[in-house]
Amino acid sequence: MKTPTARIAPLHLSRTLHSSFHANLRVPRASVVSKWLRSRNLTTAPALAQEAVPLRKHLKDEAKRKKAEAKINGVAKKLKTDPRLEKWELAVGIEIHAELNTECKLFSSGPTEGSDGVANSRVAFFDAALPGTQPQFQVATLLPALRAAIALGCEVQRKSGWDRKHYFHWDQPNGYQITQYYEPFAKNGTLTLSASDGVPTSDLNGADSIGIGIKQIQMEQDTAKTTHHPPSTYHIDLNRAGHPLIEVITLPHIHSPQTAAAVVRKIQAILRSVDACVTGMELGGLRADVNVSIRERGTEGTGSSYSGVSGLGQRTEIKNLSSFKAVEDAIVAERDRQIAVLEAEGVIEGETRGWTLGATETTRLRGKEGEVDYRYMPDADLPPLVVGSDLVDHLRVTMPELPDETVDRVERQYGVTLKDAKTMVDLDDGDRLEFLEETVELVLRRSGDQATDQLRVGKLVGNWILHELGGLLATTETSWATMTITPVEVADVLVNLQNKQITARVAKQLLSTLNDTSTSPRPSVDHLIDEGNLRLRPLSDEGYEVLAMQIMDESPDMVAAVREKGQKGKIMWFVGQMVRRGEEGTVEPENAREVLERLLSD
Amino acid sequence: MLSARFCWRRASRSLQSTVRHNGTTPILLGALNAAISRYDTSSEALKTIAIKDNIVTKDLPTTAASGILAGYTSPFDATVVKLLRHNGYSIISKTNLDEFGMGSHTKHSAAGPTLNPYSRGGVRLSPGGSSGGSAVEVAAGQSWAALGTDTGGSVRLPAAYTGTVGFKPSYGLLSRWGVIQYANSLDTVGILAKTVRDVRNIFSDLNKYDEQDPTSLPPSIRNRISTNPHHRSSTLRVGIPTEYNITELHPLVRSAYTRTLQHLQSAGHKIAPISLPTTKEALSTYYVLAPAEASSNLAKYDGVRYGQRTRDPDSLPKENLPLYAKTRGEGFGEEVRRRILLGAYTLSSESMDNYFIQAQKVRRLVQRDFDSVFALRNPLLDDHVDRYARDGQGVDVIVTPTAPTLPVTVEEVKQQSSIESYMNDVFTVPASLAGLPAISVPIRLVDEEAADLEETDVRSVGVQILGQFGDDENVLNVARLIEEQQGR
Repeated sequence: MKTPTARIAPLHLSRTLHSSFHANLRVPRASVVSKWLRSRNLTTAPALAQEAVPLRKHLKDEAKRKKAEAKINGVAKKLKTDPRLEKWELAVGIEIHAELNTECKLFSSGPTEGSDGVANSRVAFFDAALPGTQPQFQVATLLPALRAAIALGCEVQRKSGWDRKHYFHWDQPNGYQITQYYEPFAKNGTLTLSASDGVPTSDLNGADSIGIGIKQIQMEQDTAKTTHHPPSTYHIDLNRAGHPLIEVITLPHIHSPQTAAAVVRKIQAILRSVDACVTGMELGGLRADVNVSIRERGTEGTGSSYSGVSGLGQRTEIKNLSSFKAVEDAIVAERDRQIAVLEAEGVIEGETRGWTLGATETTRLRGKEGEVDYRYMPDADLPPLVVGSDLVDHLRVTMPELPDETVDRVERQYGVTLKDAKTMVDLDDGDRLEFLEETVELVLRRSGDQATDQLRVGKLVGNWILHELGGLLATTETSWATMTITPVEVADVLVNLQNKQITARVAKQLLSTLNDTSTSPRPSVDHLIDEGNLRLRPLSDEGYEVLAMQIMDESPDMVAAVREKGQKGKIMWFVGQMVRRGEEGTVEPENAREVLERLLSD
Repeated sequence: MLSARFCWRRASRSLQSTVRHNGTTPILLGALNAAISRYDTSSEALKTIAIKDNIVTKDLPTTAASGILAGYTSPFDATVVKLLRHNGYSIISKTNLDEFGMGSHTKHSAAGPTLNPYSRGGVRLSPGGSSGGSAVEVAAGQSWAALGTDTGGSVRLPAAYTGTVGFKPSYGLLSRWGVIQYANSLDTVGILAKTVRDVRNIFSDLNKYDEQDPTSLPPSIRNRISTNPHHRSSTLRVGIPTEYNITELHPLVRSAYTRTLQHLQSAGHKIAPISLPTTKEALSTYYVLAPAEASSNLAKYDGVRYGQRTRDPDSLPKENLPLYAKTRGEGFGEEVRRRILLGAYTLSSESMDNYFIQAQKVRRLVQRDFDSVFALRNPLLDDHVDRYARDGQGVDVIVTPTAPTLPVTVEEVKQQSSIESYMNDVFTVPASLAGLPAISVPIRLVDEEAADLEETDVRSVGVQILGQFGDDENVLNVARLIEEQQGR
């Protein structure tokens, strides 16, 4: 990445106004503070856009990589499970930071969006920690936070408080972060995960699902963004400073790296489904810290405990993991490191460690002695946060559907398998599901008889969207996001298919044609059918017989195979030949088979 | 960028004039160093106001007398400044203080010490602190009135030392938006003027709810205060805390204080001895809590976004020093550094329980002490908590000396240790911890009392009136009464 965000290694902050490179940049209209910051020669040049890998692409690449890996390792990998894991047991707790989906910052009216990402353009006086400014809690930020708490099964606290967490860094304008250390607003939740979420069977112990305890959720401020311009210039952008975050803290109930990744994935999906946060982990909207410890199975570890979970080994913390893969890989690496240390009779130090993508080992950032004493202290400017039960009840009732509930509904409503339903919900931010719902609706409306057909139509449409469209995208190496086929077009194709106006083969062809044709404007499906003369023009019984006889005459060996050796399967070869040889859109396989069976049995 | 030093020089120059004070004493104002910055044009307005330099103003720099904010000008006006302008007052200067409000003599300032117009043996007296600049501006007639801030006595002590009236309203009545935090759970804006009536007028113009200050008392509580049942007769019950009768009390302070009480008694008011048992612990509690909050509130001064910054790269990654260790080390004065270190220590994980938490508990006890002696119940407490109020037995106000002694000279201040300086706050700190309204009114010494004092000496003693939370009107009434008794 060209512009890594720097959170460590403070070197030298250049205060020179715009370097020559930035001098030519347009200076857009900005907030009062921004102008004022500029007047102080503080660099406010826009940071270079960070390369962000879209989630979809990441997931796809990830799937490809896994497939490739599985092919290479094959069975060998399964046999190669580390025997040391029989002896050592892993325990992981995760802290997930997610940006809340709100219009304003947590303690100021500074907006969270807008100004096209111009650095330091969304900064209220308080966000820049100007002397004499005070925080003003923005009630609107509470709603997404409460939705998150309810969705994660937490008890929303009637009264919670705000505390200052002190540490010096230029990305923290006040010198402290306002967080909820002593009294968080939500406690004691549970996250339920099943095999379909990615939990390995060894973690399930025969049960359908496992519950991961959520210790608490707290609201807090995000920091400013730093971009490094080598060799020694740093730019600070306060736009993100004070943006509301929630931190979700799980109990150390997680016993495998895969489950850890599944927990982060699921929390992300839940937060997104209830509109609590907007961006995914890969876009920097979500960050995770993991606490890793191991103990010898059947022992009490080093007797450490965390929030009521006792008998743990000494834990280490790995900070700032920003992808599912990083979570999984960092835990594997840290687990293996701890096992190696303990098997060599060493001692695990309580320390903070770091991880970079692609690394095979975690690296020590600082030990206990280098630990920052955050000097937590209640913020005397902020009154306690009091949340009425009526508000919580109202949100509970008006809550959007959770992912698990959606899967359940799709399975029931559209008659698709659990696996297909889950895929449909997970793929493309739920976009496929919307496509499905819209298409089913259109097909039903056009074919009249609604109630009885929903399951059948749902199944049909589901199949076509997931497998036929999916296959089409795979062979053309295009993505769902850029696909231009609309639900109306798919519905048109499927209604024609249902009404026996076209064959399945033609239907597939049509989709392929639509995918290749530009949208401005694209001929309608019916037009394409007429144009290509694709409509089914059923052959007469005689026509079928003539065609069948012709093929039978040409292939006496095959006829003999069916008639004399009783190889009934060969009939389908004849069906195929008829479909291919008949004029496009004239031969229906079922009819062909009927005729062939009759002729061949003579 | 206009350097603060330049402003100070300009300010001194404009003050090189001799004025006559109290009709008798000639005073060379130029030597007083009361203002940090000042408008060049002299104001024709009658109601001129000086503003302590830790309250932000758009058109004059605001430095809080700290090197770290040298040259800083705020992009906005504090709410109290806005209200003053709105009500037609004319702001004429920004006044000197102990850096960020930390001190009792207005000597810990990047602008140098402020001197009292009064002197003893040819040596200037301490003006008190930390609002010494504001008090001196008023005492020397440079401004009609002044705003200060009071965290542990910073308005009342300078008032007592300069013979002016200094009022600290109940916490939360006057907006702190734009007031640079020292210890934000204690900080209040205070008013200094020559008479109680002037103080009252300014107070009623500033006493407004401000949604920008999250600690500003909301209209609901203001309403509860104004409807708090008063059932007062025309005679007052005046509480005299026995714990304030300390051996260190200066004979002249004792004499003026006693005389005030006698006057009240002869006017038909009832004097009632009361006990505030936690008084002794209050001072040490204050000096745990205030530095703790200061260490947090002053963490924002890093020279990155504004203020003074040490030019060279000062980070030493090998020694794990952050970017601005040097900037902070050079920008803050000695007393501020001392209190930041003290505060950081008492908040650290190993000493938090022993210091900060203990001090918070004592603070509660101090509040209970007061709630148990006032007739009026505390409007912040719900009925069921209010088990200390005694029916009809409580007092309406408490009257105490403002400071145990007369002001010492600046030479004597130099000999004092920090702890001795902290002792000045012993009578003012309890009201700050409880957030109560408190005012210091000057009691002019009578001739036989002042016989041993020079003409140039202050010749008055501050007497402090405390009231229940929200009972500011009554405190001002009693202050006016005491003022009247002196024939003013």
